[in-house]
Amino acid sequence: MIKIEELCVRYPDRDRPALRGVSERIEPGEVVVVTGPSGCGKSTLCRVLAGFIPGMIPAEVEGEISLDGVSVWEADPARIATHLGLVQQDPDAQICTLNVWEEVAFGPENLCLAPDEVTARVEQSLDFVGITHLVERETTTLSGGEKQRLAIASILAMRPEVILLDEPTANLDPEGAKNVFDLLGNLRESEGRTLIVVEHRLEPLLTLHPRLLILDEGAIVTRRTTRRHMDLDELGLRAHWDLHPPSIGKSREKVALTVEDLSFGYNNASLFEHFSLELRPGEILGVIGPNGGGKTTLLRLIAGLEHPSKGRVVRSKDSVLGYVFQHPHQQIFERTVRGEFEIEGGIAQERLRHTLSEAKLAGLEEVPPLSLSLGEQRRLTLATALSRDPDLILLDEPFIGQDRWNVMWIVSQILTARQRGAVTLLVSHDIPLVAALCDRLLYLGEEAIEGEPNAVFSHLEAMGKEAFLPTYWEGMRA
Amino acid sequence: MIPKVSYHAGTLGLHRATPVANLLLLSGFLIVVLAAPGILVKLGAFGLVMILTALSGEGVGTFLRNIRFVLLFAFVLFLAQALSVRDGTVLFSFGLPVTDQGLLAGAQMALRFLVILSSSLLFVLVTDPDRLAHAIVRLGIPYRYGFILVLALRFVPFFRREYRTVREAQHVRGVDASIRSLAGLRRAIRYTFLPVLVSGLTRVDSVAISMKGRCFGLYPKRTVTRKEHWHQMDWVTAALFVLLLGITVLARRYAWL
Repeated sequence: MIKIEELCVRYPDRDRPALRGVSERIEPGEVVVVTGPSGCGKSTLCRVLAGFIPGMIPAEVEGEISLDGVSVWEADPARIATHLGLVQQDPDAQICTLNVWEEVAFGPENLCLAPDEVTARVEQSLDFVGITHLVERETTTLSGGEKQRLAIASILAMRPEVILLDEPTANLDPEGAKNVFDLLGNLRESEGRTLIVVEHRLEPLLTLHPRLLILDEGAIVTRRTTRRHMDLDELGLRAHWDLHPPSIGKSREKVALTVEDLSFGYNNASLFEHFSLELRPGEILGVIGPNGGGKTTLLRLIAGLEHPSKGRVVRSKDSVLGYVFQHPHQQIFERTVRGEFEIEGGIAQERLRHTLSEAKLAGLEEVPPLSLSLGEQRRLTLATALSRDPDLILLDEPFIGQDRWNVMWIVSQILTARQRGAVTLLVSHDIPLVAALCDRLLYLGEEAIEGEPNAVFSHLEAMGKEAFLPTYWEGMRA
Repeated sequence: MIPKVSYHAGTLGLHRATPVANLLLLSGFLIVVLAAPGILVKLGAFGLVMILTALSGEGVGTFLRNIRFVLLFAFVLFLAQALSVRDGTVLFSFGLPVTDQGLLAGAQMALRFLVILSSSLLFVLVTDPDRLAHAIVRLGIPYRYGFILVLALRFVPFFRREYRTVREAQHVRGVDASIRSLAGLRRAIRYTFLPVLVSGLTRVDSVAISMKGRCFGLYPKRTVTRKEHWHQMDWVTAALFVLLLGITVLARRYAWL
């Protein structure tokens, strides 16, 4: 049993506590889902439970946490890991070795188990997550979904009583996410483990009948057992987008971006063959598809960071590009938030103040950008990219780990840019959102399918790609 | 600037040798370039590195392309030595006199650097770091040190990817971080090296947390499940080590050029 009493956590460089007065009891075999807005303390809770705070990540802590009666404060994280295994949000950050077999064996070998037992656990864990066929592969060659399954297998092999998963589907395509949710269902049914899942996508977890904890500003504000979609509706947590972006009207006659007969591939594997696309001023194109399907590569080709083996990308020479990468820290260079806006020529003081206020970054002008939270960094990179009024906006997974408010802010920025005729290519796994926001969709997978959202969904349905259909599609089909 | 050399599985040449045998061979190369006096021996050692690269199925051309910055730096070392040593007979002059001793000293320095770097990079290319860590543990070295090596090797491709991404981000944002002056160097440090360093340190933290989260360091010892067996290729590698050792002894004794 996990017992949390009056837990408070404060990071050294922050005025407000990350967690305040959190008390909770989690019984063996329970499934608990923790959700809440960005920066509400979900990841901090995971790190405290796993013993990484304050041992490895400095922070002031108050209150008490015990695992089966043993205080977390007095135990080494390696000791806690024998009872509680944490699957981190980014599987890349979790992988310690270079080979799948070694990765799964890493934990059991640290537990000093006999070699035969290590081998047996590796085989069972790989079998459970369905990646036995990858046993001899190098970890660097795996797809995002395969890495996430490997991360789960490597924790399962240690057989902890409690498994804690921090946004396990954040980086996965809808099919990969569905597989992970199915896996959690199997863990619950066949293994009876205690599961604590931090997640924004709640609907797929309803089949587990979880107890839902909603965190806000470091405190638990709601506790509730959820079984039906209606429960999420009542809590305002069901993903539903009613955007109705205004029409782009006459600008449809002109072409702002042309991709002509483009071919490209990596290491002899072709990603694009004779691929063509035309986008008109103000158009928003949603790019969806499985991990490794070529979504990011398409953005890179359009931005000129990759060069096609055949064909070309045509856009006006004086057009301004705004490209936001998936990981914001890679685009941050200056010492202060203000400095980030000065890289691209700077903007008027009044506009800077307005932009920062809109992005909820007001008062942070002189703060080092890398000390901001991930959500703040993402808003900063988007704000700086848009400060030059780009004609072509390339957004790579801007909604990962963002709460509803942040998502709506990003959407508002896209729609404002649309009003002045900017073309937007939006790569995202959030199918309901891209369906509501985009004029057209491009699916990049086994084949490239492009068209109006519902036409693309019809095609995907015929291909059996259920995971890529929005939740409303079920109703439309009926 | 970061050499594009990192381990990948293979079935030819040194790929078939155990990590300990490859480590032995690497130490042979280090001994020969540090202890043997002549440049011919070092040239021979560099030739042997290239032959082993080809036999391991890596492609000499690709290998040399990937270490072009190492080659460039070796050339800079050669020039610096050749132009700064004044002893010996002056062979020619273009502003600064170039002597026979200067050329020899430059070649010594450049070849020493080249053999150390190329043999180390070949070692990285053909040696599975996980197996190496296990081998080190079996040799009696505490496993924590073995895994420091694994992590160091794992981070080489990571830094290369991050460096590339940061340069692309600069390109997209119109940042010029090329090094053409002292001010350019300062900009390069701020705009290139600091972001890569921050990424690297963040990743080191994450991996350290992940390792602790999987009971690393819980006990003084850990299980080594996969066993290494000595194969034919290991005997060949050991023979090469003995050969390099013998050449070193002879080169020192007879003062080979």
